[in-house]
Amino acid sequence: MPSFLSRLVWAGIAILGAFCLGGIAINRGEPVNSMWLVVASVCTYLIGFRFYAKFIASKVMLLDDNRATPAERLRNGHDFEPTNKWIVFGHHFAAIAGPGPLVGPTLAAQFGYLPGTLWIIIGAVLGGAIQDYIILWASMRRDGKSLGQMAREEIGRVGGFTALLTVLLIMIILLAVVALVVVNALKGSPWGTFTIAATMPIAVFMGLYLRFWRPGRVLEISVIGFLLVMSSIFAGEWVAHSSTWAPYFTLSGIALAFAVIVYGFFASALPVWLLLAPRDYLSTFVKLGVVLMLGIGILFVRPTLQMPAFTQFIDGTGPIFAGKIFPFCFITIACGAISGFHSLISSGTTPKMISKEWHAWPVGYGSMLLESFVAIMAIIAACVLDPGVYFAVNSPAGIVGSSAEAAVKTITSWGFPVTVDQMAALSKSVGESTLFYRTGGAPSLALGMAHIFAAGGGGQAILGFWYHFAIMFEALFILTVIDAGTRVGRFMLQDLLGQLYKPLGRTSWMPGVIGSSAAIVLSWGYFLYQGVVDPLGGINSLWPLFGIANQLLAIIALCVGTTILVKMHRTKYMWITCMPLVWLIMVTFTAAWQKIFDPAPRIGFLAAASQLEGAMTAGKIGAAKIADTQTLIFNNRLDAVVCGVFLVLVTTILIDSILLWIGLLKGTRDSRTCESPFVMSQLKAEEI
Amino acid sequence: MSRIRTFGRIILALLRELGDENAYARHLATHQRPHSRDEWQRFSDERMRAKYARAKCC
Repeated sequence: MPSFLSRLVWAGIAILGAFCLGGIAINRGEPVNSMWLVVASVCTYLIGFRFYAKFIASKVMLLDDNRATPAERLRNGHDFEPTNKWIVFGHHFAAIAGPGPLVGPTLAAQFGYLPGTLWIIIGAVLGGAIQDYIILWASMRRDGKSLGQMAREEIGRVGGFTALLTVLLIMIILLAVVALVVVNALKGSPWGTFTIAATMPIAVFMGLYLRFWRPGRVLEISVIGFLLVMSSIFAGEWVAHSSTWAPYFTLSGIALAFAVIVYGFFASALPVWLLLAPRDYLSTFVKLGVVLMLGIGILFVRPTLQMPAFTQFIDGTGPIFAGKIFPFCFITIACGAISGFHSLISSGTTPKMISKEWHAWPVGYGSMLLESFVAIMAIIAACVLDPGVYFAVNSPAGIVGSSAEAAVKTITSWGFPVTVDQMAALSKSVGESTLFYRTGGAPSLALGMAHIFAAGGGGQAILGFWYHFAIMFEALFILTVIDAGTRVGRFMLQDLLGQLYKPLGRTSWMPGVIGSSAAIVLSWGYFLYQGVVDPLGGINSLWPLFGIANQLLAIIALCVGTTILVKMHRTKYMWITCMPLVWLIMVTFTAAWQKIFDPAPRIGFLAAASQLEGAMTAGKIGAAKIADTQTLIFNNRLDAVVCGVFLVLVTTILIDSILLWIGLLKGTRDSRTCESPFVMSQLKAEEI
Repeated sequence: MSRIRTFGRIILALLRELGDENAYARHLATHQRPHSRDEWQRFSDERMRAKYARAKCC
């Protein structure tokens, strides 16, 4: 394209993006079509990708296609393999896209559609994509080393150990919170519970098929598995209406929590090929398919957002989670804007597959933009719901009242009218007995998705199918995260314990395997149980804890990235990593401080414990509830300690890094990096 | 038409990569062994050991 025309096109994209961003930012009181959000985000992503990311690639990272990547130098036909850039892009995107970018934006919609949307767009372009990109590049230049290894080598032993411990703790909170999302989505829902239960024998059948009957035919069995799962959704409707079968699949939150805990233990201890791997294949394909379907659905239906730009809950009184827009909007939406967990993927499989250094540009930066777009779609799906319905589904009984009448009265008094009849009709149309108090984000997201899919074809008649299809899609990959995460947590724990007693470190020593699996499952299981019995729904305490932990991991990743830039004498470009780093420090440290010490009991863990203790001392708690209240007091104090431990760990890495940067800038510290030496690439274009 | 065909080929290759079928083909080529049940089991055991030692993203 001629230079002038190219400039004209890019100027047009910039003006269109600015116009749409301005439009959604200024508009008040009128319904906004979702296309404004889509166009604003896509234009901003294109500008960020074309100019900011390319500037970083050419001026800061000095990407060089003549330099052989680890995929070429260490090619072994297994992990290290030069791969087509679009395949690596899809592979990386599939690896980073989990439940986070769907659930976080749905929960943050309580502030209105605008805060979350702006944070997702700006956070991804200037923060999340930068983190993924820098870590991918750093790992690619270091033979595909992991974040922990890079932290140890570039910052020091303290940094490396702290990173490992932080990741382990984050995993425990992550597993608890995603398990809580599934439990809240399935409680009292025989249709949903049957569908998800059916995925287990289906996965085992797939595993046996792949292992013994048709070895290596992954795509073939995935198609069969998908058809079986779709059949189970239809069968689920029949089960829900069967007076014989429905009671077996109508489970309380506590029963489901125990079922998930037992499942997590067995899934992490069973052979991988039997359950985990086949379901992982299936959930990956379903995930990509549904994301594509949702994108097409939004473009085709172009729904109007019902949620206002801002709600009154920016003042911190939100029913879904308490806390002001700053900092809580920014920790609630982690994946989709900036997620520390991505740094583990960017320093995992992906750097071992990149065939040319410049491919890191679309893979590292571009994939995160696509994930950010998934988060935009999630916020659209949540905001197309009637706000009254959205709050009725997502608010816990402890806030809105424990009867349907009390709940609609409270929610209507907030200015979001909703009626018992409206909720009953909606519940009936999706085949549920009730949709009140379905906290966790998944049910309201499924409702929004079902509305979009049903508007695309089939209408209200198939709303129930789409709702349960969306629930199946969310639960399927959340359960895969749970069993894979428990297994990884077990390996990490064994790695740590092996330093104390050698046999504990051996992954083939059965007592070690069982003991460490049980320890990990019980750790996240405890937090899950705590969330299930929490009168405020659990999400209020666990999701912020997870958001803080995830963003603290991003701080570690950005510290590693900044250290590498300083060591490479790229000090004048430190602002690229320091800008999101400083923002994250402000956000996470403020959020963590408030979660521990805020005097409001719904925000501060210690205040909540004191309030309960005061009520007990004053004799306001009945004898039957004394034990439960003592547990709640302990849980709140435990959450405060966990939050404090996160802060101490990350402060340690931060201080360690800052001291190193000062030493490097003064010339008193060794500035050697662990970058692999330059080797000329011999890879020909036709090989990739 | 050829662009659509190329796009389709990339999508299929991506699905095969996500399903480890490409990795298995590379494994057979690297070790110069024919496809068999034992070979698939050997490959998948090794592949999954490495794959599920890493965290899945949230």
